[in-house]
Amino acid sequence: METIKNYLDNMFAGLPNTEQMKDLKHNMLSNMEDKYNELKASGKSENEAIGIVISEFGNIDELINELGIKKDTTTDNKPMISQSETDAYLTVKKTMGLQIGIGVFLCALAPAALILITKLQSDGLITGGLSEKAGSLLGLIPLFLLITIAVAIFIYSGMNFERYKYIEEGVNLPSSVEANLKRQHENYTQPYYLSVILGVCLLILSPIALFVTNLLNNDYSGYGVVVLLGIVAVAIFILIYFGTIRESYNRLLRLGDYSEKKQKENKVIGAVASIVWPLAVLIFLLTGFIYGYWHINWIIFPVTGILFGMFSAVYNILKGNEN
Amino acid sequence: MISSDVIRGYNDTIILFFLLEGASYGYEISKNIKEKSEGKYIMKETTLYSAFNRLENNGYIESFYGDETFGKRRTYYRITPAGLAYYKEKCKEWEITKDVINRFIRSGM
Repeated sequence: METIKNYLDNMFAGLPNTEQMKDLKHNMLSNMEDKYNELKASGKSENEAIGIVISEFGNIDELINELGIKKDTTTDNKPMISQSETDAYLTVKKTMGLQIGIGVFLCALAPAALILITKLQSDGLITGGLSEKAGSLLGLIPLFLLITIAVAIFIYSGMNFERYKYIEEGVNLPSSVEANLKRQHENYTQPYYLSVILGVCLLILSPIALFVTNLLNNDYSGYGVVVLLGIVAVAIFILIYFGTIRESYNRLLRLGDYSEKKQKENKVIGAVASIVWPLAVLIFLLTGFIYGYWHINWIIFPVTGILFGMFSAVYNILKGNEN
Repeated sequence: MISSDVIRGYNDTIILFFLLEGASYGYEISKNIKEKSEGKYIMKETTLYSAFNRLENNGYIESFYGDETFGKRRTYYRITPAGLAYYKEKCKEWEITKDVINRFIRSGM
């Protein structure tokens, strides 16, 4: 019996909550309950009875048309998509969140690799009789390697998503699909908020790594920066991954302002990352090779990392607030 | 089972038929339809309630709350004079429709 009630709740979830609708729902429920009880009395099993009642429900869109209900949004000339399409879209978005998250994670990790190798080399932990200059050049290899991988991931992920672009240009959802999505969106709210809290806390706490290593030994501050960047990278990954999943629901349900002008903001974090990080690397290299500021110029990475992390967090939260 | 497309224009007529004999409520009507058609036509819930809404808006039926039975407050429907006139009209229309369509039907194929 609960199943029938839930089914009907889902069917009516996307519709306005007027007296007329409440009445209609009440009548339909009582009708379905009568049918269910009679089926049970005639010897059908619970599952059979529920199956029959639900199969004889019909199509909610028939009622919507008949009652002339305007759904919350004006959605003319937009394609109608099915449950399987929304499922496919959500899966692709989730993968995309993972890929962009990993890409940005690698971008943030790249300078950490550079600093680590340079530091290990200058501390004499990597031997091989290299000069200091050769040591910093050695560190550039993982840096560029990681950034190249990240860019490749961005491009690959963007290409994979191409097929689902039309969904973000606005679609109509059948009521049952919309009701399902609303429930999923609701269920996702708590994990999403937890992820934002976790991500922001990691960002705020990340400088502790620097303080601790400084306290232990001033010479270790380079390793502190590596740990700091590592924490920032993890935080950014968390924010992007969960943020993207959340966003995919918002887009389908057209919560918040997902009109065309906002469409490009989807890739904002990825785009900003692919500009900001190479720029930071460029400044790092220029100040190093031209002015010889190697002893201090690594500071650009933690600064960029924290600023970028804050940017992603604020961006996600602002987007959340628009709902 | 009959395709609902074919029968669509006569759902209202079917419901009015049962109301001719007195006021009734949703489930009773849908059960009667199934029995009378010997299980060949099952009216879906959404079709039934769309029809109630349409009939009421056109003034062909009136709804009222019945007595509570077993703690349930049911909405009953009764046919109005306008509904009766409409029903008769639809019966005539069907006679003509049936006659016309029959001319294009070769039985026993």
